[in-house]
Amino acid sequence: MIVFDKVWFSYGIHHVLKDISFTVGENERIAILGESGEGKTTILKLILGLIRPDAGKIIIDGEDITNKTEDELREVRMKFSIVFQEGALFDSLNVKENVAFCLREYSKLSEDEIDHKVRELLRIVGVEQAIELMPDELSGGMHRRVAIARSLAACKPKMFLYDEATTGLDPVNADIICKLILDLSKNGRGLILVTHKIFDAVKIAERFMFLKDGIILFDGDKEELVHSTVPDIQIYLNEVSFSGKANKSGG
Amino acid sequence: MKIKELISELQDFYLLSARGLLVAVKKPFYLKDMIEQMDYAGAGSFVIIFLVSIFTGMALSLQLSAELSSLGLKMYTGKVVGISIIREIGPVTAALVYAGRVGSGIASELGSMILGHQIDSLRVFGVDPLKKLVTPRILSSIIMLPVLTIIGDVVSLCGGYYIAVFVSHQSGTFYWSSIRDVLTFENVFAGSVKPFIFGYLIACISCYMGLSTKGGSKGLRKSTTRAVVVSIVMIIVSDFILTRILLYVLGFSV
Repeated sequence: MIVFDKVWFSYGIHHVLKDISFTVGENERIAILGESGEGKTTILKLILGLIRPDAGKIIIDGEDITNKTEDELREVRMKFSIVFQEGALFDSLNVKENVAFCLREYSKLSEDEIDHKVRELLRIVGVEQAIELMPDELSGGMHRRVAIARSLAACKPKMFLYDEATTGLDPVNADIICKLILDLSKNGRGLILVTHKIFDAVKIAERFMFLKDGIILFDGDKEELVHSTVPDIQIYLNEVSFSGKANKSGG
Repeated sequence: MKIKELISELQDFYLLSARGLLVAVKKPFYLKDMIEQMDYAGAGSFVIIFLVSIFTGMALSLQLSAELSSLGLKMYTGKVVGISIIREIGPVTAALVYAGRVGSGIASELGSMILGHQIDSLRVFGVDPLKKLVTPRILSSIIMLPVLTIIGDVVSLCGGYYIAVFVSHQSGTFYWSSIRDVLTFENVFAGSVKPFIFGYLIACISCYMGLSTKGGSKGLRKSTTRAVVVSIVMIIVSDFILTRILLYVLGFSV
């Protein structure tokens, strides 16, 4: 369970989050929507303790992580699996080494066992054929899928965090990633998807939050989102209806 | 506000420099990363150190031969070239080349890792970026810069020999015996302490600048430039301070 209690965060003099409060249940599938620079990624970084809030509390599973040290945060971070924007693969390592990174770092598996595990994870995300490739040889979609495989190797997460998982991908690849994200959360594991692509968000999430000017402008389910009269959300909804029409005329 | 920022930056820099070295004794040891860095910093810099050193030695020998000839003291060319290179020019030249090649490489590599969220990924996976990235770079610089300096010194002296013998028509045997005379403990010690300090400084400055990158490709350009510029200034400043201290410690009168 994640609790944000009156959290403030700023980059220099620019307040990104202003008195934000919300709660996320363990099995919830949430999409955080908003324009670029509205603090969506900042929320994910705060959950992982990569940055500290200026004020307020962040509570994970009943523990206040706001003032935890880097060593103490390690345990908190193991509860999550994050896929950063554009994958954030280590560009000096190939796909196999990227996925095997945490296995080599923390497990006592033999090289054969690591190889087997890496192939299994790459098969799950559908990029087994890319095992020997370097990150710069991968397409955008493959990049994200390898990043998902790497995050799965890291630990047994309670919750998945996705930062703009489908941004910059063509519709086919974006759809593949959306299905993969849904498949991974089928066994009751929750997820937080940060995106500005509402069309992908509605495929995955069941609860939606909309950030604007450092505050949560909207927090509700799909029905409430669809019937929202907030002008900024209307603009987003127009994108969905446009995409829907395009799909109908295309199909 | 600016002063507060500067103090905060200095504090972060000192912490990184101290912790980067102190955590070297704690597990896990990233030996593979260190060897990779040593290869990049050492073997990769050999050709450029060789070229810069040989021409520096030749230019120095040429200048001194010309000046000393007019005073009728041409036979001292070897001695002066030897002292200059071993004590001063060799360590400083190698450090400047190292800062330009390796320092900029470290800053840009770490900077792009910051921008690409790779450092965040390391932290999420429970890996200390300081131990994984900074410590191997500091240790490899402390080891490889002295090695490169010794190679550079030898090459510079050979360059000086070529000019002294084949251009200035001096005795080669006398040149080398002059060099042997200046290879005293004091001179060698004064010249060999500096590269360790320079290596440490360059690695710490470059790692700090790289890790404090923000603001996209423009920020990366800025941090890489800052890494090289600050390293060069610090090499020159610390060279003066070290020279002063070493002359005092080794009992030279000024």
